[in-house]
Amino acid sequence: MTPLQLFLQQLANGLTIGAIYALIALGYTMVYGVIQLINFAHGEVFMVGAYLALSVLLLLGISQPLTGPVLIGLLLLCAAAAMAGCGLLGWGMERLAYRPLRQAQRLTALITAIGMSFFLQNAVMLLYGATDRRFPALIPALRWDVAGVTITWLQLAIWAGSAVLMVGVQALVMRTTLGRAMRATAQDPQACRLLGIPVDRVIAVTFVIGSALAAVGGMLFGLYYNTVNFHDGYLTGLKAFTAAVLGGIGNIPGAMLGGLVLGVLEGLGAGYLSAQWKNVFAFVVLVGLLLFKPTGLLGERVADRA
Amino acid sequence: MTRQARLVLGLLVGLAGGCGKPAQPVVKIGFVAPLTGDQAPHGEDMLNGARLAVDHAIARGDVIPGQRLELVALDDQRSPTQAVAAAKKLAADPDVVAVVGHLNSSCTMPASAIYHQARMLQITPVSSNPQISRQGFDTFYRTCATDDLQGPAAARFVAQELGAARVFIIDDMTTYGRGLANEFEQALRGLQGTVLGHEGITQGDKDFTPLLTKVKAMRPDAVYFAGMFPEGALLIKQRADVGLGGRFMGGDGLFDPVLIELATPQASEGVYLTTIGSDVHRMPTAEAFVKAYEARFGPLGAYSAYAYEATSLAIWAIRQAGKKDRAAVLAAMKALTDYPGLFGLQNFDERGDSRIRDIGLFTVQGGAFVFVKSIGE
Amino acid sequence: MSPWWVAAAAALLVPIVNPNAYHLDVLTGAGLYALLALGLNVVVGFTGLLHLGYAAFFAIGAYAYALLNLHAGCPFWAGVIPAAAVAGAAGVVLGIPAMRVRGDYLAIVTLGFGEIVRIAFTNLERWTGGPNGLLGIAHPTLWIPARGLYDFGVASQPYYYLVVVMVMLTAMACLRMSRSRVGRAWAAIREDELAAACSGIDTFQLKLLAQGCGAAIAGLAGAIFAAKQGTITPDSFDFILSVMVLAMVVLGGLGSVPGAIVGALALGTLPELLRGLAQYRMLLFGAVMILMMRLRPQGLLGTGQIRREPLTDRPPHDARPA
Repeated sequence: MTPLQLFLQQLANGLTIGAIYALIALGYTMVYGVIQLINFAHGEVFMVGAYLALSVLLLLGISQPLTGPVLIGLLLLCAAAAMAGCGLLGWGMERLAYRPLRQAQRLTALITAIGMSFFLQNAVMLLYGATDRRFPALIPALRWDVAGVTITWLQLAIWAGSAVLMVGVQALVMRTTLGRAMRATAQDPQACRLLGIPVDRVIAVTFVIGSALAAVGGMLFGLYYNTVNFHDGYLTGLKAFTAAVLGGIGNIPGAMLGGLVLGVLEGLGAGYLSAQWKNVFAFVVLVGLLLFKPTGLLGERVADRA
Repeated sequence: MTRQARLVLGLLVGLAGGCGKPAQPVVKIGFVAPLTGDQAPHGEDMLNGARLAVDHAIARGDVIPGQRLELVALDDQRSPTQAVAAAKKLAADPDVVAVVGHLNSSCTMPASAIYHQARMLQITPVSSNPQISRQGFDTFYRTCATDDLQGPAAARFVAQELGAARVFIIDDMTTYGRGLANEFEQALRGLQGTVLGHEGITQGDKDFTPLLTKVKAMRPDAVYFAGMFPEGALLIKQRADVGLGGRFMGGDGLFDPVLIELATPQASEGVYLTTIGSDVHRMPTAEAFVKAYEARFGPLGAYSAYAYEATSLAIWAIRQAGKKDRAAVLAAMKALTDYPGLFGLQNFDERGDSRIRDIGLFTVQGGAFVFVKSIGE
Repeated sequence: MSPWWVAAAAALLVPIVNPNAYHLDVLTGAGLYALLALGLNVVVGFTGLLHLGYAAFFAIGAYAYALLNLHAGCPFWAGVIPAAAVAGAAGVVLGIPAMRVRGDYLAIVTLGFGEIVRIAFTNLERWTGGPNGLLGIAHPTLWIPARGLYDFGVASQPYYYLVVVMVMLTAMACLRMSRSRVGRAWAAIREDELAAACSGIDTFQLKLLAQGCGAAIAGLAGAIFAAKQGTITPDSFDFILSVMVLAMVVLGGLGSVPGAIVGALALGTLPELLRGLAQYRMLLFGAVMILMMRLRPQGLLGTGQIRREPLTDRPPHDARPA
């Protein structure tokens, strides 16, 4: 392996996990955009998504790689089930836990989110057991050698899947009536109400979309690493949150960029510097960046108080 | 406080205090391991072993005439702070005369001071860090081999039998993993092996491809990993994914059938690992235990046998003492010779470490662990 | 008699009424949480700076005392002051760059600091013992007339008294601070930083002061923790701890000194009260947190004095350039 090949390989490694971070970061950023809430439980939604996809596979009794239309159909089915389940979960969380607190101090909702995170983690542990569960490898382990750099089908699928979703979300937010309502709510909910925009419903839909994206992230995560555990949401959620802030929280292209940048930074940091300083590396870059550009890569402004 | 909040609090207090006390006098054995959190599966395996030992003992009649034997299981969440809290809880309960625990060396270490001060017998089934018994606590016993045996045994095997000269070492940055990895590294250097690098990974992390890609470029003959099976499985699988050749060897933290399931049988074929004791399935002395365990709880966990052994030893000491008295139980334990345990005749040295110093060598073949041989002292 | 004196007297009577070492230990743990909550309350409650890496200062205090003790033979009573000072200084030093960011960005920068400090303690094996941590840290000793030197050891009562006294002293200091000129300036910054700056408050200095004070209290708690445990490992100081302390402050009522103590007692003892529920206990713990916030959004002892800033319905362009 030449140094260049090694570098490109590390880049491909980083972009894969980065794409997953980006999908989760979208949920953090969208929710933050409309109600300025750091939804700490979002990482757990992602984990629940992985378990829902796994449940579908277990119900169908599938544990071997598949090919062709069957594979694509099954992936879509898993994704649909996970998205529906997590969307419902996101809606329920918003309705039961966050909406009643909308007039309270912002930190109250943050603590509720933390309580929710404990609750979901332990609920999944009780339902599925504490042991890591094997997530069947559905996609055949085919690999391409591009100039000495190995890329698997799975990585391609992750890149393609997350790219489609990200473009879709961007289009949804920028081009549809719903998206306009979301942007308007983010700017001034009071005025939105006066104009007859159903602010509550817009917020609920935002939670649903963000959770559904995390669900796909969870499914891809399961397919990529082939193991899922009830505490997976914690570290990955924290990273995705970091990615959202890195890109500029509240900003949708920022979340995508932040996810990819964080994934690549981690990959290169662990690959060239030291694996045991990997997490420090990500945070040092984050802190450094925020100090020079206090609103993240693409962010503009943010509410200035806790 | 609003009425609702008071209601909630009252309910909780009621729930916590609701476990009423039985009339018959009890004698208790404490058990501490992580029962929630990421290492809960190991803790559960151990708890099953301990439960089986208690039930076997009860079936043989009262341990102390007229007193009911009870197992008090506490959760330390593998946190040293929680471990100390649990230890103090046990120390404060006059009915508890002995403790089986903990799982993690980082927890056993501070907790052992509490048990020592309470003059209470502590038997750890599996905390293998050698530092613990070097603190000089006479209340401390251990039923497994220590990492200053396991690390060098693995190093001898890697260097002399696998003929691997260039080795990369990975650990999980815990008291156990770092301790074992350091023992391995030191022994390997003593055998003129080349250590290409020694790096830590984070427990709970999933993506090790950057590290493994880097290691691949160094072309090692072998990779040694000291840590637990969830991370081990990912390392083994991702090692195959990035096309890293050479051998892969690990410590007893990997010895769990789930490892092979998670890493896939193909990727884990030919992986070697050591265990802190011999293969319990091959011990004629353990046959009855294995049968009873698997009939009740399913496949044997990596640490179930040690927990059964430790609990049985504690019960034996209580039976010998014949009364609910910590000093008497400890004295009985000190007088132990040739206890017929699962791994043969059990004796302890002056530090409280088991004299059975077997290190088992296993390899993965066709999706199952296969015992190769004993490579202990 | 003010409720403070009643509470203090009750706290000091507990070991006499109930000498159970385990119960005292749980209360001591909750007392340490109370110290942390009091310190974080200065930063988050008084001054309105959301801090998510507070465990770092607890860790710095604990390691500072441990290293002083192990390398310089410094006894507890002499080590606790420098430990608090080092942590306070770290609070100021880390606070200077963090001044550039605000609100939720400040939250993530402090979270980053917390993680960096913890991982650094794990990796700097030469000085910190790495993942093994530091062992054999001396317990506090006390010279009692006619009885000679008394070592706290692993007993429960002396630590209980130590922590109760420290919590009382810290709470008194916090109360006095909040009513002083400085405290009023902090409140002004919390309510409206721009207006505060316009009325001549040196917001930079005062925000740093708040972070320094908060960090020093955490350092004090850290030194006590290290002396009590005898061993410290980096995983005692993780992100969850920062989050828990924040939850205590919010649950008790942001900005309320008795609230911080009550919040810490509630969340600090709850996991122990729920111990009997085995694997259900963290599930219930989460549910209780959600319920408490739902029933009492301003916190158990919240004064409602803090201007409510709702999640939505805020005025447009509330955000000012940082």
